[in-house]
Amino acid sequence: MAALLEARELTKHYGRTVALDGVSFDVGEGVTALLGPNGAGKSTAMKLFLGLIQPTSGTASILGEEPYRSVEVRARIGYMPEHEALPKSMTASEFLMHMAQMSGIPPGQARTRAADVLRHVGLDEERYRPMGEYSTGMKQRVKLAQAIVHDPVLALLDEPTAGLDPDGRLEMLRLISRTANAFGISVMISTHLMGDVERTADSVIVLESGTLAQQGAVAKLTEETETLLIEVADHLEEFSAALAERGVQAKSNGPMLVVEQAREDDYDIIRDAAVDTGARLRRLSPERRDLTDIFRSRPE
Amino acid sequence: MIERDAEVFDLGYQRYTGPREGRNRARLALFQNGVRTVLGIGRGGRAKILPALLFFGVMSPAVVFVIILSFIGEAGADFIPGPADYYGIVGVVLIIFSAIMAPELLGPDRRDNVLPLYLVRPLTSTDYILARFLAFFFIALVLVYAGQIVLQAGLILTAESQIDYIKDNWSDVLRILFVGVLVALFISVAPMSVAAFTTRRAYAAAFVIAIWLISTITVNSLTIEECTTFSSSQSDGTLSRAEDCDYLIGDLAPYVGLLDAGSVTDHITVMVFDTEPEGPAMMAVAELDDAWPIGAYLAFTGIPALLLWNRYRRIRL
Repeated sequence: MAALLEARELTKHYGRTVALDGVSFDVGEGVTALLGPNGAGKSTAMKLFLGLIQPTSGTASILGEEPYRSVEVRARIGYMPEHEALPKSMTASEFLMHMAQMSGIPPGQARTRAADVLRHVGLDEERYRPMGEYSTGMKQRVKLAQAIVHDPVLALLDEPTAGLDPDGRLEMLRLISRTANAFGISVMISTHLMGDVERTADSVIVLESGTLAQQGAVAKLTEETETLLIEVADHLEEFSAALAERGVQAKSNGPMLVVEQAREDDYDIIRDAAVDTGARLRRLSPERRDLTDIFRSRPE
Repeated sequence: MIERDAEVFDLGYQRYTGPREGRNRARLALFQNGVRTVLGIGRGGRAKILPALLFFGVMSPAVVFVIILSFIGEAGADFIPGPADYYGIVGVVLIIFSAIMAPELLGPDRRDNVLPLYLVRPLTSTDYILARFLAFFFIALVLVYAGQIVLQAGLILTAESQIDYIKDNWSDVLRILFVGVLVALFISVAPMSVAAFTTRRAYAAAFVIAIWLISTITVNSLTIEECTTFSSSQSDGTLSRAEDCDYLIGDLAPYVGLLDAGSVTDHITVMVFDTEPEGPAMMAVAELDDAWPIGAYLAFTGIPALLLWNRYRRIRL
């Protein structure tokens, strides 16, 4: 599968400040998250892939072309900015029609696309209202709609859940997943929220201080570890002692016992210890890494 | 026949397989959007009031002249302003129109942060500013020509012989078209370049009107001629009077006259229509070679155009 987006030794300096320092990565189909704390270089990377700025060195290419050199390729990408970017006096319908034409769609088809996409983002009823009257959630949905109104191959979404309440955030994440899975438009989201990544992304690129910290499939990064988590309803001390007698060292962690470097036969030992001590086993499962660990485990 | 209830089918998301017209469609869309924005088309009634009032202001002199002509017939053509004078008469309203409406075209895109959404599409910053400029230039051109069309129509219809009138004055049509382009260019480019530096419409409009007023008043004050009359007795015993006129600022006056923003296009109009200059600044400039007012026009349009282009070329998003 060819990469939709490629960074090769991508470097961007703003005066003496290094925003990106020789970063290389690929983005394929599906949902990819560009994750990192504020100042990690996410916005700079976005701007480079959108052709808004030029790299100091290296290349940022999208669909095989460099968007800061070839403007035509931009007709096949979409962009949802983090900040508010909607003309208050225009209706969503008029705005989307205009934006579709701005991406090269003729007026007749632009009208149809605008109506269709607004229906898909749940703004069918509100499309003739001036956008200045919209709630934050509605504005975010219009911003997403204008990013996909021209049916791009890839949509770049900058902090798409920023400013949304929990319900609005879940709705936006659902829409993003739908955009990729049902609409077939690949998505790259820039975010600093792990939860957004875990809910939506197939793969993740982690940036930190302008360098590439991690890259890979979310499933791989959050795969099972060799640590076993055990939770019993009662007889915790006897159960722990019984494990120790059988050569399994379990550390106490609140209501749980944690067995590190667990082996295959440890499962049988734990079962037998529970039977012998009468402890009721509530949970016995390998621990999964979460994305927060990616940051914690990074060497300084 | 079995009747079935109506059913609504959700076809789901449909991929777009139609034509993609790229950069040219984007430029055209931006141009059309610009025209609609300035004229308030597609927006509420309030957005249309100002352009309608200003359009009425530009058109009203022509309409008044035509009404006068319709009452007194061809005889009125002698004292009704001709096509050359008309540009001078509506110049004030045209400048006010441009000063107020040009910021409406550029300000909201930056104020509402819409500019990045445009520039991530198949469009460069030069395409953007050119499309916006052409939209405004188009409206200015329509405004400039509209009054002239009404005036010429009035003059033709009230002439005793319409054919003879057209035969005698056909060359005016080309002059009107040529000067109209220059006037529209001038009133578009300077207000737009000012609007490029602020998102506040009031500031931009006030700045343009202030420059126009200050330069007109100052330059016309400085280029006034001061005349001294002296008498001398002749050999036959009669007295002869002579007048010696000089500018307040001496030989610099014709060059200072070029700085009057209000008469930049009037110099060209005088040249093209071969009419007499009026007012101190214009009379002073008339002493110079034609290349000077042409150069002044190029500077008054070229420098703001470069500033406008450079502003958007370097804009940080």
